[in-house]
Amino acid sequence: MSGTAVSERAVAEKAGLDKPAISVRNLDFYYGENKALRNISMEFPTRKVTGMIGPSGCGKSTLLRVLNRMYDLYPGQRATGEVMFDGRNVIAPGMDVNRLRARVGMVFQKPTPFPMSIYDNIAFGVKLHEKLSRSEMDGRVEDVLRRVALWGEVRDRLRASATALSGGQQQRLCIARTIATRPEVVLLDEPTSALDPVSTARIEELLDELKKEFTIAIVTHNMQQAARCADQVAFFYLGELIEMDSTDRIFTAPRETRTQDYITGRFG
Amino acid sequence: MSAERAETVSGGSDRWKPQGSLALRRRFLDRLATGLSLVATGVALLALCSILLTLLVRGLAGLSLVTFIHSTASPGMNGGLANAIVGSLIQTAVAILIGAPLGMLCGIYLADYGRGWMASTTRFVSDMLLSAPSILIGLFIYQLIVVPTGHFSGFAGAVALAILALPIVVRTTEDMLGLVPIALREAGIGLGASKWRVIVFICLRAARTGVLTGILLAVARVAGETAPLLFTSLGNMDWSVSLAQPMASLPVTIYQYAGSAYDDWVQLAWTGALLVTLGVLAINILVRVGFGRKGA
Repeated sequence: MSGTAVSERAVAEKAGLDKPAISVRNLDFYYGENKALRNISMEFPTRKVTGMIGPSGCGKSTLLRVLNRMYDLYPGQRATGEVMFDGRNVIAPGMDVNRLRARVGMVFQKPTPFPMSIYDNIAFGVKLHEKLSRSEMDGRVEDVLRRVALWGEVRDRLRASATALSGGQQQRLCIARTIATRPEVVLLDEPTSALDPVSTARIEELLDELKKEFTIAIVTHNMQQAARCADQVAFFYLGELIEMDSTDRIFTAPRETRTQDYITGRFG
Repeated sequence: MSAERAETVSGGSDRWKPQGSLALRRRFLDRLATGLSLVATGVALLALCSILLTLLVRGLAGLSLVTFIHSTASPGMNGGLANAIVGSLIQTAVAILIGAPLGMLCGIYLADYGRGWMASTTRFVSDMLLSAPSILIGLFIYQLIVVPTGHFSGFAGAVALAILALPIVVRTTEDMLGLVPIALREAGIGLGASKWRVIVFICLRAARTGVLTGILLAVARVAGETAPLLFTSLGNMDWSVSLAQPMASLPVTIYQYAGSAYDDWVQLAWTGALLVTLGVLAINILVRVGFGRKGA
């Protein structure tokens, strides 16, 4: 299957995409006996948005959770193969997973503000990895809140509970919290599926800004979202990567009929 | 539009009418069941109100400043309950200081770390302890602390109460941590936090009202216990705040005085009973009102 990997890279180069931040090679993933990912090989180009689409249960969220070793939490889940990030195979034993998760951040489907103040929500993650002075921390908090366009709305109530924010604000706070640890990669698992259209639009605008600095992988069920946000799109079906190409090609001229059927809404 | 609809509601076929005896029977059973429930509720409430009212009337009769500043004394010596009140406060406080942290750690273990036989055994033993007769716990501590040290002590009483408080805190901590959404844990882990940090700073924080409720319920439970103290702190006629000495407590004083032949002692027992009841009632009200819907 290494032939596929090479051709994916050729495609990536043709599409003018940078060298990959993460390279996945021959990845298999198991929930107990159940094989959920089959021989996945793909690359996440640096400072680009990779959209991941496919019907429910096709393995796209599973793949996302491999990239930051989130599956470690659950006994019985395991991965084999290679996920290269900054010169190391992140799924190999002996990986410092806490350090990895600071560098490969994750935003979840439902906004998950911690039961503490807005300020502390951001400071919590930063304190895990850096020793900052009070003023440096204040600066970091303001900086990330500005970048997610939340500063104006919360600057006067940084000490108020984060759980009182609206769903859209909470999700932007979660993104701020994730980028506050200065990751290189940001993984987003259906980040707008629990939000209203206005909040969704704001998050999508935000992605455009964020990709200038971060490599982004976003799982979405929303075809328009993938088309709007992603530079390249990967289509998954039944645990396999069916096709990956530039967003234009996937939505206008997919090579596989299954991709064609899915994006035109014939199944899924 | 609405007029049109009203017309439709009043119209229709015969099938809208009640279907003979079956409908009557159903309506009768419904009323009967409602009536029986109301009667049962009334009986339970009557008993409760009768107890509270008697307690209030008999207890208030002896309540005065002397109750709080004098210690228990010989009949006719104008004794109060100061030593018993303070003894109860000290023993309950020490019991919670021992039992609550231990119970929380154990609850954390069961909720987040425990797997296999070790966890299920711990959970089983904790649940058994929850319903164990409290006098057995008193006897256990008698053997464990009183016999080796050679004398009764407030500390022994506090340890016995701590063992009673333990399973309550274990159970509520485990349950409340179990209610913390997995998404919140994953979000903490996703930032690169270690497991214990996520538990202490995120999960316990999210579950804090519930855990605190459990601790307060444990306070309410142990504050009224008599049996575990009979063989441990024993009681003390005089003022003493030393945990190394036998220590008075409200429940034991009530137990000793209520059956005595002296009117003023019996009166003190009533007053003590009122104080214990009011204290426990206050904690329960605090739990319900203070913590709103999350309360027990």
